[in-house]
Amino acid sequence: MSGMETSGKPMDTSAIGGCAPDAAICARGIVRDFESGQTTIRVLHGIDTDIKPGEMTYVVGESGSGKTTLISIMCGILWPTEGEVKVFGTDIYSLSDTELVNFRLNNIGFIFQQYNLIPSIDAAANAAVPLIAQGMDIHEAREKAKVLLEKLNIADQADKLPSQLSGGQQQRVAIARALVHEPRLVVCDEPTAALDANSGRRVMDLLREVAVAEDRACIIVTHDNRIFDLADRILVLEDGEVTHDGTEMPDDH
Amino acid sequence: MLWIAIRMLTGDAQKFYGLLFGIAFSTLLITQQLTIFVNLIERGASGVYNAPEAEIWVMDPVSRTTDVNYAMPSTALDEVRSVPGVEWAVPHLRAAASVRTSAGDLEGVAIIGVDDATLIGLPERLLEGDKSILSRPDSVIIDDGGVVNLFENGEEPIGQRLELNDQRAVIRGIADSIPSFTSQVTLYTKYSQALNFVPGTRNRLTFVLAGVSEGLSAEDVAARIEQQTGLKAETRQEFADAGVSFIVENTGIPTNFGITVVLGFVVGVAIVGLTFSLFIRDNIKQFGALKAIGVTNAKIVSMVGAQAALVGTVGYALGVIGTVVFIYAFSGNPFFKGFYIPWQIPLISLVSVIIILAMTGFIALRSVLNTEPAAVFR
Amino acid sequence: MSILPKNVSFSRQILPVLAVIGLVVAALYIFSSLPDRSTSEPEQQPPRATGDMANSARVAGAGLVEPSSEIIDIGSALSGLVTDLRVQPGDRVEKGQPLFLVDDRAARARLAEANAAISEARAAIVEAQAAQRTANQQLALYDNLDDPAAVSRAEVIRAEGDAAAAQSRLELSRARLAAAQAQAGSAQTELNRLTVRAPITGEILAVNIRPGEFVATQGGNSQPFIQMGETIPLHVRVDIDENEAVRVKLGADAIISPRGAAEIRANAKFVRAEPLVVPKRQLTNSAAERVDVRVLQIIYALPQGDAFRVGQQVDAFIPADGSPAEEG
Repeated sequence: MSGMETSGKPMDTSAIGGCAPDAAICARGIVRDFESGQTTIRVLHGIDTDIKPGEMTYVVGESGSGKTTLISIMCGILWPTEGEVKVFGTDIYSLSDTELVNFRLNNIGFIFQQYNLIPSIDAAANAAVPLIAQGMDIHEAREKAKVLLEKLNIADQADKLPSQLSGGQQQRVAIARALVHEPRLVVCDEPTAALDANSGRRVMDLLREVAVAEDRACIIVTHDNRIFDLADRILVLEDGEVTHDGTEMPDDH
Repeated sequence: MLWIAIRMLTGDAQKFYGLLFGIAFSTLLITQQLTIFVNLIERGASGVYNAPEAEIWVMDPVSRTTDVNYAMPSTALDEVRSVPGVEWAVPHLRAAASVRTSAGDLEGVAIIGVDDATLIGLPERLLEGDKSILSRPDSVIIDDGGVVNLFENGEEPIGQRLELNDQRAVIRGIADSIPSFTSQVTLYTKYSQALNFVPGTRNRLTFVLAGVSEGLSAEDVAARIEQQTGLKAETRQEFADAGVSFIVENTGIPTNFGITVVLGFVVGVAIVGLTFSLFIRDNIKQFGALKAIGVTNAKIVSMVGAQAALVGTVGYALGVIGTVVFIYAFSGNPFFKGFYIPWQIPLISLVSVIIILAMTGFIALRSVLNTEPAAVFR
Repeated sequence: MSILPKNVSFSRQILPVLAVIGLVVAALYIFSSLPDRSTSEPEQQPPRATGDMANSARVAGAGLVEPSSEIIDIGSALSGLVTDLRVQPGDRVEKGQPLFLVDDRAARARLAEANAAISEARAAIVEAQAAQRTANQQLALYDNLDDPAAVSRAEVIRAEGDAAAAQSRLELSRARLAAAQAQAGSAQTELNRLTVRAPITGEILAVNIRPGEFVATQGGNSQPFIQMGETIPLHVRVDIDENEAVRVKLGADAIISPRGAAEIRANAKFVRAEPLVVPKRQLTNSAAERVDVRVLQIIYALPQGDAFRVGQQVDAFIPADGSPAEEG
């Protein structure tokens, strides 16, 4: 219903008043407030947007523009103050806590800015964490993860601990972890921030290669202008509102 | 996920061994100190345990323990024997005396006179000699702790002559007995002989040891003795407890050991709590990532639980092993003679360890459970 | 570090396994070294009441074995050296059987003296009788003369005097004989008194004299020379504390056990209770006897057997008044 009320907002590319049946994410009227002492700060001012599968969608914005908040809400780890989010047709915030956690586990892959690999288990095990969390046998999970690591050209590093790997190699392990359970939505937070330009582009190429598929959506949060040209679609956020939605960056950025 | 949890724990060797040390140290301190405490105050009952046949001890109503006693008229023996349900009753004398050793030293000793005919009241085992040697004139049997106190220079005690109340006494045997609380030298001899060794007072019969007829309980018969004779009758267990409570009431030992045990607990809580919190804090990002990826809080709790269980089990085991090794290593020392670990004590320290881990684990978990998964995007 | 299964981790595998093994070993040690606090049966039997009395009202006391005649301390009527000892401890003697002889030489000398005096008196009697006969014949001769002038009157008076003197000499000699005979009897009696004889039939319990020793009738506190008594049957004198005395069931059998041999339990028959309650004399093991406790002494007859000796201390259990069944 909130989607109906906020349908007048600009850059709403979704079907008016409802979600496109093929949308990976359908967000309607997303409002998010943060309590900061006595005052309440509104970070998102009612965002309506759809993310389509088969595309690499960039969410771009300056610090404090609300892009992290938006993506957190879209992937089910932060409750919106208002609005609703459907991921592949599931209204995720109507699920119970446990159902939501399991939904994330089965449908969403995460790539964190700082990778957040577990330092005391090796690369293959790190990559296999979602499978292990799903209850898969450890050896089987590791074998499956190794296949993916091979695809990412770091099969030879499978038995090494994260601390023994370079930043790029860690990033690939993180990518493997995001994809190992074949999620339908992949969320990347600043995947190239810690990498030099070449490594960054290679990682993005790799991501495009493995993460973009017909039935899979890929959202990348970044402000790294070196890789804007690799986007299929760019959403620009400013002060909690989508100010641009297109295949290229607007000229004023 | 427990597999991952255990690896997270052992991956940080420093903190893992820190946690192990904390738990092991607490367990060791609690178990070992409680063990010494229990054994020390049980020394108050050693006199009772050293007379294995006696099921009931009969004494003057003012007597409190084996060592704090008041003598009765000798006819008390017949009065006790007259009580139905008393299978047998024998006289038992316990008194203090001074002994002059062959080296010329003066030493306070406890004289224990056992029934002449049956030798009831002697410790069950002798290290050297045979119980029958008491029938030889002037014979005494010394306790093994007394050998150490009386013959510091390592002399052979058998055959040594002592002077007791102007009487000659010859050591002819060594008893395997539990030392008394004061580790006093104890000399066992026949009742009639003991009367000569102890300076004369009119009443000398300090205790009557009694057995209980088959099919009756010691408590009932003791009550019957009290009712019929007006003397105080306590069962073996009651009298042992009386000896223990006398020590507890009249010494500062419980307080001291209590403080140490509490210290052990506090140190355990401090070390384990700090290390566990540090460990969790170090891994909070990983836990956050796991939460975002899709690990439920219940699973997080079980992960921390598994970590606590591993640390607890290994640390507790190390602490208990340490205590056992300690007790075993010192079992040859006369001070630690007869020390044992009551089975309840490891259970007490186990409960302590569980409480320590539950407290610290709960505090550590709280920060994990409160972590917003969204924090990983910041 | 690798997670290959072949690779073994110290902290994850060896340490916990070692810890658990150690814990099991520690537990075994703890349970194996728990002290044995159970009571044990006495190695030697202490005296105990048995049978019906085991669980019923009863009175216990200590006693001494004595002969049924009580102990007779044999004395001697006369002082002197012991010349012959006729008995040994343990001998059974009949009433009147000599036990020992005291030196009788003086008595025998007096007897011989008296006998000599008897012989002398007898001879004097014969001599006096002869003189009397002569005097009487002389007198008869004078009496038969018809002629008064045939003998002078003086002659007749002299003859009459001779006869009277002979008569009195005879009487004197007879009196001497009686005196000597009395002396001999006295010496014989003394001789008999120097042989000490058993006053009753019984057993010699102790002999404290040896031939050559001097036995004195005075001086008092020395040991009795010989102790004897009738040991068939033996009696037991049981002391009962005056506090308990009222509870004793007089007339009932008692269970008697010798000191140190409590497995022997003799059933002793009641004989009597001493009418006099006395200060406690014989007392279990005490060095200094107590005098402020008085005891009732009850006598029991022991059955025949070798288990008891005179003077032995025994433990006794006597049924108390009130039926054995009323025990609570």
